[in-house]
Amino acid sequence: MFRNNYDNDSVTFSPQGRIFQVEYALEAIKQGSAAVGLRSKTHVALVALKRNAEELGSYQKKIIPIDKHLGVALAGLSPDARVLSNFMRQQSMASRLLYKRPVPVSRVVNSIADKAQVNTQHYGKRPYGVGLLIAGVDETGPHLWEFQPSGQILEYFGAAIGARSQSARTYLERHFESFPDVSRDELVLHGLKALRDTLQQDKELTTDNTSIAIVGIGEDLKQYDGPRVKRFLDLLGEDGTKSQRAARLDTAMDAGGADDDNDDELAGLLGESGPSGSAMDTTE
Amino acid sequence: MTSIGTGYDLSNSVFSPDGRNFQVEYAQKAVENGPTTIGLRCKDGVILACEKLITSKLLVPGSNKRISTVDRHIGIATSGLIPDGKHFINRARDEAISWRRNFKDSVPIASLADRMGSYAQAYTLYSSVRPFGVTAIVAGADNDGPGLYMIEPSGLYWGYFGAATGKGRQAAKSEIEKLNLSELTLLQGIKEAARIIYVAHDDNKDKEFEIEMTWVTKDAKTANAAVTGSRGMIWNGWVHEEVPKELLEEAAREAKKAVEEEDEEDDDAKGEEKMDEDL
Repeated sequence: MFRNNYDNDSVTFSPQGRIFQVEYALEAIKQGSAAVGLRSKTHVALVALKRNAEELGSYQKKIIPIDKHLGVALAGLSPDARVLSNFMRQQSMASRLLYKRPVPVSRVVNSIADKAQVNTQHYGKRPYGVGLLIAGVDETGPHLWEFQPSGQILEYFGAAIGARSQSARTYLERHFESFPDVSRDELVLHGLKALRDTLQQDKELTTDNTSIAIVGIGEDLKQYDGPRVKRFLDLLGEDGTKSQRAARLDTAMDAGGADDDNDDELAGLLGESGPSGSAMDTTE
Repeated sequence: MTSIGTGYDLSNSVFSPDGRNFQVEYAQKAVENGPTTIGLRCKDGVILACEKLITSKLLVPGSNKRISTVDRHIGIATSGLIPDGKHFINRARDEAISWRRNFKDSVPIASLADRMGSYAQAYTLYSSVRPFGVTAIVAGADNDGPGLYMIEPSGLYWGYFGAATGKGRQAAKSEIEKLNLSELTLLQGIKEAARIIYVAHDDNKDKEFEIEMTWVTKDAKTANAAVTGSRGMIWNGWVHEEVPKELLEEAAREAKKAVEEEDEEDDDAKGEEKMDEDL
């Protein structure tokens, strides 16, 4: 049987120069539910989809506040995210104590990246199994960063991580040019629409499964969960909480012609806007 | 691939019967797929340039830099695993600071290259770590003038007139060899550097990219600032900084044009050959 001998630890290069343990850690992110982040000239927003293990169980935490000006959304192993966010809180407190100022976003992101890199180069350690979206505001304005277990960090206008996040990225790529000038509410709305596209067919965004956080210039980080999410979901409009794919299927079912709509469905998945797809953008 | 299946390539710091350390060779493989990065040692300074592929339009342009300042007078460009490069640069910064503390002077480029070479080498000695998946091009200037070094994952380093690493290194090297680097000025050099990045990119034309370029330079203003510095002569007046935007844009424009014209000529030549054959 074929066996890959080069994937047992993070200190072994494959003959192609790859480190499989790090690549597998990247896969762990895709097991987690999606999180989306995006920024305007004045604000950064994080929206995330929470999962519950069972019907009567509580929903997981997807957004962790770090400081008044800083928060993260996670996808992947949440205990690893807690370790990293505790570390970020320490950095943040140290900055306030030493320099009497909130820590710059890039500084704190770089510090966790360096921490994560060490885990990929020493035997007996494992890479972190979590991806983070870090949203924050500092002297240089609002920032959105993506953190990966490899220790890679990248600054984005809009980013999505987690299960089915490609659909959200497609949405962001189509609309990000308008983000700089949108209002606070519109920014969140764009985030929710991107997040909505990651939903499975029978799922929809609800007050239970949606988590939102916003931070802006001169505005402290504010997190919205439970009933407080309702206002934003209402803005999405009727049926707007369903994924476009699911909604389209519903309309097709109503019309009694589910079969011939499959081409549109496929086109939608491939990033081409199907004719019935645009009809659902009621809030635009 | 004779290395596979022998068992000698599964752990770092293990010699194979013919005296090779395969894990170090594999680390070099990680670099060979990395973005093209070059360094040019000119008459009046040093240039670092790298090709930055744009993997997503959602990325903030100009963010996520690949060339870093290590000390005021030294810059390092890395190719390969980016997080490894970050670690390497942090260490170089520590070395530069420690040199200042010990000797009240800015670190000579050869000394920094030596320290960093030793650091990379240490990561080939133990089975508990893996080698760095990067090559680093170190550019700077000291009392001996401009200096350029390239450090490999094995810890091996050489001084260079012109250095190239990453995916397009072969094409870049043959272009660099055509230059007369001991006579070239920085202003001429940035145009050559931009052209070389464009030429080396040739193989994967479909992907968009931007050029990141820095130089180590000394002008009357910085030289004066170094002399009159209040804390004594701890900085030699050379500065590692980004190449001014207008200059870089002009160089990139000219490079693009030159490469396109060359392609057209090639096409014409091929067309004529074809016609000859047809006849």
